Amino acid sequence: MARVRVLPESARSPGRRETESALSLADRMPHLVLEARRVAANLAHGIHGRRRAGTGETFWQFRPFVAGEAAQRIDWRRSARDDRLYVREREWETAQTVWFWIDRSASMGYVSDLAQASKIERAVVLGLALADCFVESGERVGMLGLMPPRATRRIAETMAQTLVTDRSSLEEDLPPQAPVAPQHEAVLISDFLSPVRDVTAMVEGISSRGARGHLVMIVDPVEETFPFQGQAVLHDLEDGLSLRIGDAISWGQAYRLRIEEHRAALQELARRRGWTLTIHRTDRPASEAALRIMTLVSTTRGTGVGGR
Amino acid sequence: MLGLPLTFAVPLVLTALAALPAIWLLLRITPPQPRRVDFPPLKILADLRPEQETPARTPWWLLLLRLLLAAFLILAAAGPIWNPLAEDNNRSPLLIMLDNGFAAAHDWRDRMNLAAERIEAAGRDGRTVALVATAEAPAAIEPASPATALERLRSLKPLPHLQDRQAHLDSIRRFMETMPEANIVWISDGVAGVDGQGFIDGLAQMANGQRITVLKAERAPALAVAGVENASGQLNVRLVRPESNGRDTGTVRVLDLKSLPLADMRFSFDPNATETTVAFDLPTEIRNAIARIEILGEGSAGAVHLLDERGKRRRVGLVFGGTSDQAQPLLSPLYYIERALSPYSEIRNGRGAVADAVNQLIDEQVSILVLADVGGLDRETLGKVTAFVEQGGMLLRFAGSRLAAGNDELVPVRLRRGGRSLGGTLSWDTPKTFAPFTRESPYFGLAVPEEIGIRRQILAEPDGDLPARTWASLADGTPIVTADKRGDGMIVLFHVTADTTWSNLPLSGLFVDMLRRTTALAGAPSDANAEARNAENETVAPRLTLDGYGIYTSPPANARAVARNYAERATLEHPPGFYGPVDSSLAVNALLPGDRLAPLNYAPLNARIAPLAGAQTIDLRMPLFMLALVLLLIDTLASLWLGGHLSNLTGRLRRAGAAAAIVLGAAVVLNPVSDANAQERRSSMTMESSNPALVTRLAYVITGDPQVDETSKAGLTGLTQVLSQRTALSPGEPIGIDLSRDEIAFYPLIYWPVVASRPMPSEAAIRRLDAFMKGGGTVIFDTRDAFGNRPDGAPTAEGQYLRRMLASLDIPELEPVPADHVLTKTFYILDTFPGRYATGQTWVEALPPAPEGEASRPARSGDGVSPIIITSNDLAAAWAVGARGEWIYPVVGSDQRQREFSYRSGVNIVMYALTGNYKADQVHVPALLERLGQ
Repeated sequence: MARVRVLPESARSPGRRETESALSLADRMPHLVLEARRVAANLAHGIHGRRRAGTGETFWQFRPFVAGEAAQRIDWRRSARDDRLYVREREWETAQTVWFWIDRSASMGYVSDLAQASKIERAVVLGLALADCFVESGERVGMLGLMPPRATRRIAETMAQTLVTDRSSLEEDLPPQAPVAPQHEAVLISDFLSPVRDVTAMVEGISSRGARGHLVMIVDPVEETFPFQGQAVLHDLEDGLSLRIGDAISWGQAYRLRIEEHRAALQELARRRGWTLTIHRTDRPASEAALRIMTLVSTTRGTGVGGR
Repeated sequence: MLGLPLTFAVPLVLTALAALPAIWLLLRITPPQPRRVDFPPLKILADLRPEQETPARTPWWLLLLRLLLAAFLILAAAGPIWNPLAEDNNRSPLLIMLDNGFAAAHDWRDRMNLAAERIEAAGRDGRTVALVATAEAPAAIEPASPATALERLRSLKPLPHLQDRQAHLDSIRRFMETMPEANIVWISDGVAGVDGQGFIDGLAQMANGQRITVLKAERAPALAVAGVENASGQLNVRLVRPESNGRDTGTVRVLDLKSLPLADMRFSFDPNATETTVAFDLPTEIRNAIARIEILGEGSAGAVHLLDERGKRRRVGLVFGGTSDQAQPLLSPLYYIERALSPYSEIRNGRGAVADAVNQLIDEQVSILVLADVGGLDRETLGKVTAFVEQGGMLLRFAGSRLAAGNDELVPVRLRRGGRSLGGTLSWDTPKTFAPFTRESPYFGLAVPEEIGIRRQILAEPDGDLPARTWASLADGTPIVTADKRGDGMIVLFHVTADTTWSNLPLSGLFVDMLRRTTALAGAPSDANAEARNAENETVAPRLTLDGYGIYTSPPANARAVARNYAERATLEHPPGFYGPVDSSLAVNALLPGDRLAPLNYAPLNARIAPLAGAQTIDLRMPLFMLALVLLLIDTLASLWLGGHLSNLTGRLRRAGAAAAIVLGAAVVLNPVSDANAQERRSSMTMESSNPALVTRLAYVITGDPQVDETSKAGLTGLTQVLSQRTALSPGEPIGIDLSRDEIAFYPLIYWPVVASRPMPSEAAIRRLDAFMKGGGTVIFDTRDAFGNRPDGAPTAEGQYLRRMLASLDIPELEPVPADHVLTKTFYILDTFPGRYATGQTWVEALPPAPEGEASRPARSGDGVSPIIITSNDLAAAWAVGARGEWIYPVVGSDQRQREFSYRSGVNIVMYALTGNYKADQVHVPALLERLGQ
């Protein structure tokens, strides 16, 4: 029978260890350049050059004027040197904003001896690593309700500090329902063990202005398989519920059906809003989920679903 | 019950077994506590009610466990007894008589069990029990509760003497009068006590018609040692048994006073005999060491026989008529006698004049008096010696010039005045040797070495009874050893001296053998001698007694002293053992020599006789309760396991174990450090202070005045450096010593600065100083007052202090160092011994006056080193150097080289203390070399 352990509250704030493992995970991620077309339409100007001509503030190159272009684009100072007309091109500097939210409620501080790491540790590592990857590739990263988007190099440390100083989110299951601007992305990392209608309300609130998002569901193997037998008293960690079951095996069958339904509902919710659902078991390596999220973030750009 | 030897004390309780099915039902529906599982997803499926509410059943094995537990508890409460004693079921009181003399000690445990079984059986039947131990003092017999009787039984031990059962008849009679219906059980050892058959006869009359049960072994198994005979050449041990009991062989062991085994010997009884003898053929010296004889493995006081000093080593007193020169022991005849006799006898040397010595030795109760070349005795002494011989003492005389000249009656044969010389310069004869010993002689069988030569002897008058009195004669037939009985004693005369002036007999092994045989003939100091005469009034207290098992114990509280001539069996008041002081112990034994053990005849009792084997009743309550307890523990663990608490517990234990491991590891990591520290400390102590004998070092006396002590230390340090540089001596660090505490024997030289303001050293310190000086050490007393002292002025405070201190010491005559004293020549040639001051005088032990005619010797010395050197020049201050080698004090004087000379004085003094008068001899070397060259 699996042995489970509940972590104390202090373990639910990221420490140096989590930050470092997140950075090492981020190092292992491929550096993605977000798809150009998707980014080109973005209005926000970032500070990160795209090594190509585009909208930006830094000089990139002069090129000969092509007939038919707006005359205002001619750089007269350069053109005055000889008898040809030049256009001054600036470097393409754009940035995408990705909003993160990491569930740090009591149910996340949970680990069984089947898992590699506790749920909260995996969630924090995943979140910080993704944020670091995004910043590395020129994006701006913010935290829902906690931190405005920024693109600092030390984003992982900054986010960790923000998480540590924020005590209130230790009780909250779901992110604040503040809408996210369109074109922005939201990455929500949680176990989503809340009633489906609450999750639905939250997702609809965030995506109300057309933002898209990704749900990352962190699952302990025990929560998926329920490998218990005999008599047991089940305790919930947040609401103090407890349930006495006489025969865990038969109850476990019903439980597995129910958790399948729950996931199916979440899947349906994500599909409807153009979001994605990633289920990550803590007995799998974190890089697996990170790679998938990176891929999803970069590929779903072009699909143009949800409010566009 | 059911054909099994099993009964229940409270059978009604067994009906509770009928409730077991109910217990089964109850247990079945109350399963153990479920385990707790923390489970976050519960929130989204709180509405998911368990479909199968019926809990899992209690596992069948747990059910079985609990049912067994209940069954065991019920059974135990019913009081089951295995093998109950088949006893006529009456309620009359029980009188148990238990023999606890030494004969019962061998199988005492069985007897105790048997008695306990009887008492417990009586307790179950609700009977009262009275207990009589027959070897104890008779007392009124009171019926008591079985528990009390059991307690008293447990306090009983076998006693080391033969019991007198008859003494208990009265109290038994009184008991039987008050309780006529009492049953009597007698657990007998089957050996008749000192009363013989009397007890049985009395009991038979008294218990007329009463049931008497006698529990006894079929054949009384006791074995005992009754008497030891110290025959010539061997020790005969007599073993007895009451009847032939099949224990026919075994081992007898003899042990010395320290209980070290000396020899083992097998014994065997004839199958029908009740006594046998074991002979130990041991050398005399080993035989003399025997203090205890026991039958191995018997474990009974009767099987132990103790031997006291009687009949052991003879005490030999030696008296020499001439003056013996201690410096030349080989010239004293006593030397040869002592060397020959001391392995086998206890030697006492007479002191003082001959008469005093003889008186003293006779008072010391010697059994052999050796007079070596003693001529005449005065009348009083003669009477005393005559009485000594007639009361059984042996007088051993050796001839000599004084005997040849003397004339007394204490010789075995009439002697011719004057002697006979053989092989002298004016004689044709060669030294004579011994003729082979005749069969009548006690020396018969000793080989006569060829090389023995008798050069001179005293001749006997050829009387008619001379051959009968001759023990040894020369090859020409003249008697050389004669002996005669006088009263109970004997006079033996060797017609030669005990030294080598007349013969080389004392140098031969034959002399040793002859003396051994002679002393073996001496009677033990018997009852007739002086020791025994006043023995009636003298009592000796028990020192070491035997308990019933024959093991040495300290005397019990009831042991009383015995008269010196006590020769009875041991009793309750006089337990067997050693009485009196160690060197003249009196042994009391359980049996007398000649005793036999008699079997008891139970026929008059008309009793039911049962074997000693018990019924082996087992009370099953305790095992059943224990079993139930174990099951309860298992059940608890199983419940914990089923509830999932056990894993928590093991986890906690594991964590606790890890913590303990960390603590232990930390301790291990830390400990070597402290260990190393300790070792360092210890080694530094060993090297530095605790063993100053390893290295020669200078020492100073700690006066208690810090500045003076500091100066002493610095001064000796400076001198040590100078010694290391200039001489072959490399002394260790100087050391301060506290006379009242430190051992000073290790230091050749002690520097003592005299401080007048300090208290006098203690008497003990003065004694140690005295011993130090007598043992060859040298002490420098430095009064340090030369600056303030005028030659004719009053003595200074330091001088007075020194005088007071030395007043109680044995100080030799002193003189100022003479010019030819060896102290002035030992390393440097010096005239004076300056220190910080140069004006003081230095005193040493006065030399013996120079012999006439040798006045020109350049150096003179006494036999040893002067134990004392007194100076007032403050030597240490002149020697003192600081940490950087600088001089601390300036020298006071006009001479530029005063400091150099002060160091030279120090070197000379140290060399003098270490080499003594060696340099005084060295001055002769040139003369010797010159002489050799010629």
